[in-house]
Amino acid sequence: MEFNVSTFVLEIINFLVLLWVLQRLFYKPLLKVIADRKQVIEQALAEAKNQQQQAEEKAALYENRQHQWEQEKQLALQTFQQQIDLERKLQLEKLKLELEQERQKAKVTLSLQQQEFQQRVEKQALENGAKFSALLLQQAVGPELELRLFQLLLDKISTFPEVIKQQLIVTGEMDALPQVKVTSAYPLTAEMHQQLEQKLMTLMNRPADVQYHQSEDLIAGLRLDIGAWVLNANLNHELIGFAELDYVSK
Amino acid sequence: MENNVSFVWGPVQISASILTTWGIMGVMSLVAWLSTRHLAMLPKGLQTLAEGIVSVIDDAVSAVAPEQSREIMPFIATLWLFLIVANLVGLIPELHSPTSDLSVTSALAVIVFVSVHWFGIKTLGIKNYLHHYLTPSPILLPFHIISEFTRTIALAIRLFGNMMSLEMAAMLILLVAGFLAPIPILMLHIIEALVQAYIFGMLALIYLAGAMQSQQLNSQE
Repeated sequence: MEFNVSTFVLEIINFLVLLWVLQRLFYKPLLKVIADRKQVIEQALAEAKNQQQQAEEKAALYENRQHQWEQEKQLALQTFQQQIDLERKLQLEKLKLELEQERQKAKVTLSLQQQEFQQRVEKQALENGAKFSALLLQQAVGPELELRLFQLLLDKISTFPEVIKQQLIVTGEMDALPQVKVTSAYPLTAEMHQQLEQKLMTLMNRPADVQYHQSEDLIAGLRLDIGAWVLNANLNHELIGFAELDYVSK
Repeated sequence: MENNVSFVWGPVQISASILTTWGIMGVMSLVAWLSTRHLAMLPKGLQTLAEGIVSVIDDAVSAVAPEQSREIMPFIATLWLFLIVANLVGLIPELHSPTSDLSVTSALAVIVFVSVHWFGIKTLGIKNYLHHYLTPSPILLPFHIISEFTRTIALAIRLFGNMMSLEMAAMLILLVAGFLAPIPILMLHIIEALVQAYIFGMLALIYLAGAMQSQQLNSQE
């Protein structure tokens, strides 16, 4: 256990040299690379944190936007639902109106059809009545009725209104010899011919060319055709008039 | 322990401890150079080991003196690394630990003593640094001065005594007992070498940190 000054001094120098060498070769480069690595790691961490923050901000933004979209969607759905309800209401009202119109139209059509059917039935009934009457009258008529209808015709000619008489005169003046067609259900006697021609000449103020025809369709009575004028005094015409009377009155 | 002078160069006597120290310095320098030759951001092999050692020491220094760690870390790290290697080199046959030489441990203790004042003055300024000897009371100045010397002597003697006694115990057991008997003692040598290196380095770190932070502690008080 001796103390050696040389060893003491050299050891101090050795340690200082070792310290210098290790500082240059060992600590400095290693601390530098550790610091660089730490810096890189910190940068990466900071970048990652920044990215995470950005991602969180974006996520929050997207969540907010999604929430807004959800609200807008709900609002749009509500508006759409309201529009649908309104449209449905309008369409229902329109449909009700159209249905009402159609119902009214159908009602009117039905009423018209019923009315027409009733008219047709009535007409048919009247026609049938006229036919039955005609059949009945065909069996019941005779010269007496013919004579009486002839008298009725003469009376009718005598009681013509003045206006008609003037027109018949004008019609007769258009021809030199006015044509008069006389149709009867039974043959007329010469006396009856004479009375009729006399009556016609009185009516038209001149003699007429009278032609006589016979038609059983008249059942009984006569028909005079003076130009465009037709004067009926027969049962057939009366029955037809009876059948059509109802329509004329309606 | 006998004075082991290998050769004399003028007035300078080169002892075995110095030769061993040079060998240790050479090996440590070589390992340092090899480990930092190709540094990469992704460490592997020797660089990983070297970074691990430096990081552990840096963390230990930072835990005691966080503000001055960058400044004193190389000194403390060199002390620790040198003492570990120097203490363990005694396990190699025909070699003796330099730390079992009182001249070597004294030199290291004096280095610590000077470093404490150097870093203290450098950090606080000479006035502030010297002022801490007068706190909390000027009456304590002699005790502060005695403390400075006694702790330095304690550093030197503690390391020297432990390492010398370990080598001597191992040698005596080897002489008395058989071939395999010293193995537990050698294992104890390893543990003791690491513990003594840790104690020496940690005490030096505490002394340094105390000197550098004394003004802060006073202002806090």
